[in-house]
Amino acid sequence: MRNFGNRPRMSLGAGAGWIVILALFFIPLATNRYVQYSINLTLVYMVLALGLNLLFGYTGQFAFANAAFFGIGAYACSLLTVRLGIPFWFSLPLGGIAAMFIGCIISVPALRLARFYLAIMTMALGEAIQWVLIHWDRVTFGPSGFQIPPPSIGGLLLSSDRSVYYVNLLVTLFIFWMARNILGSRIGRAFVAIRDSEVAAQCMAIPLTRYKILAYAISSFYAGIAGGLYAITVGYLTPENFGIIQVTLHFCMVMVGGLGSMIGSVAGALVLTSLPEILRDYQAYQEIIYGFILLFILIFMPRGISGALKRFRWFREEIEKLTL
Amino acid sequence: MPILKVNNISISFGGLRALTEVNLELSKGDIVGLIGPNGSGKTTLLNVISGIYAPEIGTIHLQDKEITLLPPHARAAKGIGRTFQIQHLFSNMTVLENVMTGLHKDIRTGVFGAAFRFKRVRAEERIAKEKALEALKFFRLQEMANRMITDLSSIEQRMVEIARALATNHKIILLDEPAAALSPAMVIELGTLLKRIRDEKGVSIILVEHVISLVLTVSDKITVLNFGRVIAEGKPDKIRRDPAVLEAYLGKEGGYA
Repeated sequence: MRNFGNRPRMSLGAGAGWIVILALFFIPLATNRYVQYSINLTLVYMVLALGLNLLFGYTGQFAFANAAFFGIGAYACSLLTVRLGIPFWFSLPLGGIAAMFIGCIISVPALRLARFYLAIMTMALGEAIQWVLIHWDRVTFGPSGFQIPPPSIGGLLLSSDRSVYYVNLLVTLFIFWMARNILGSRIGRAFVAIRDSEVAAQCMAIPLTRYKILAYAISSFYAGIAGGLYAITVGYLTPENFGIIQVTLHFCMVMVGGLGSMIGSVAGALVLTSLPEILRDYQAYQEIIYGFILLFILIFMPRGISGALKRFRWFREEIEKLTL
Repeated sequence: MPILKVNNISISFGGLRALTEVNLELSKGDIVGLIGPNGSGKTTLLNVISGIYAPEIGTIHLQDKEITLLPPHARAAKGIGRTFQIQHLFSNMTVLENVMTGLHKDIRTGVFGAAFRFKRVRAEERIAKEKALEALKFFRLQEMANRMITDLSSIEQRMVEIARALATNHKIILLDEPAAALSPAMVIELGTLLKRIRDEKGVSIILVEHVISLVLTVSDKITVLNFGRVIAEGKPDKIRRDPAVLEAYLGKEGGYA
């Protein structure tokens, strides 16, 4: 988070940003089905990484329940559509709100715990929610999962990966914009203050409890929204999609991208989802190269991609200013 | 009519009496110096006043209203600001952001307002930014506004910490050893600054400090603590000659020297 208000009419970075956003809308023209599907998934992970970064990177809460919120969002959104016929445009935010609701409940015991204890508690919670998804089969269809029919928005059936892309893209842009606004306000400053020094934050009249709960709420809402997007992207849900491996992946994205950097989360999600695809040609070595690249990033960019880019002035002054 | 009244405070930590029946009064627009040997309970008293520790016995009143049971953030909201002995700056923020965080209570922005960045929110941010810059200007730090806090020298960081406590209109500021690690020339500068804060902004200050020359020059009143008890209080001139104070600092005359 850097610089506030008082923006020049349009900087080089802002111009480039608009061009990138515009270009994003033309991506489907240059993809085949598989690539399109991978890009759709990347967008889902961007939303996830942004949400986790907000809680972990900005507010400093070491919580491992992101996959659980992801699952709650995915299941709530899809089940509302499949079981009750609620249209997707409405069930998506409802899925986010369901995840947020659980997130707020969890945050209350979580407030009493720090670091590893918090990590273990939230990890256990993630397992518990996965257990619910498996065993509450009258509602969730149990361990074998269920198919999600393509959603329709205003009579428009989103059956192709391209149409799903536009939904994911618009939602991701919107989510990113909101995150950036929140982090640029007194709320974002309060989050960072809590991470840097709880005592000093309190002495700045920042109520710790309220802001920690708020961070959990926003973060789980984001994970829930990502869940809804995930459901329409893959078209099939099973409980095992939302296990501890997922949380590890989300954490890697935030770490690789850079803690406390919005653009970092986007970059982290992009790198970690596209790497396996790029490495697909080297089948036998794919996993080894993947692991090696991760290690390389952590060793040579301990503050992640955004931390490494911060050394360049143009990045600090043009890119970060716009994206926090 | 004192703005802050600390009445009969006692607190102990695991059998160790940190403060015993401490009384302190701060009048509006005064600087009260709080001195005493190491471990005499000065910082503990500041922590009790700002709400980080709850006293076992005793009350604290801010302008006639009891605040003994309020959490720290609520006391800060009521106008008690502070700095810390070990600096608690927000190291991942710029100088300006640090000071703007100090303005938290003056901004009303809620989460929806923030998320959609309504016009009202943008206006609030702009005003907060101006106020923060003004506070920095008071310390001649406005040039540093967009630097990362970690890029500043230790005196500059100390100034930012005071500016952060001052940016909002606190009634009282608690300063915990602001002169630590400053050169003698800087200490004099700090003294001038504290008087300016008191005279121009009408802020009341409690100053915990080991640099006695600073305390003697700026304080309107001095309270001396030793082993968690008030052993003397009064005007600087009186404290300077007080036998109990001299003994606490230098040992008994003809004693174990």
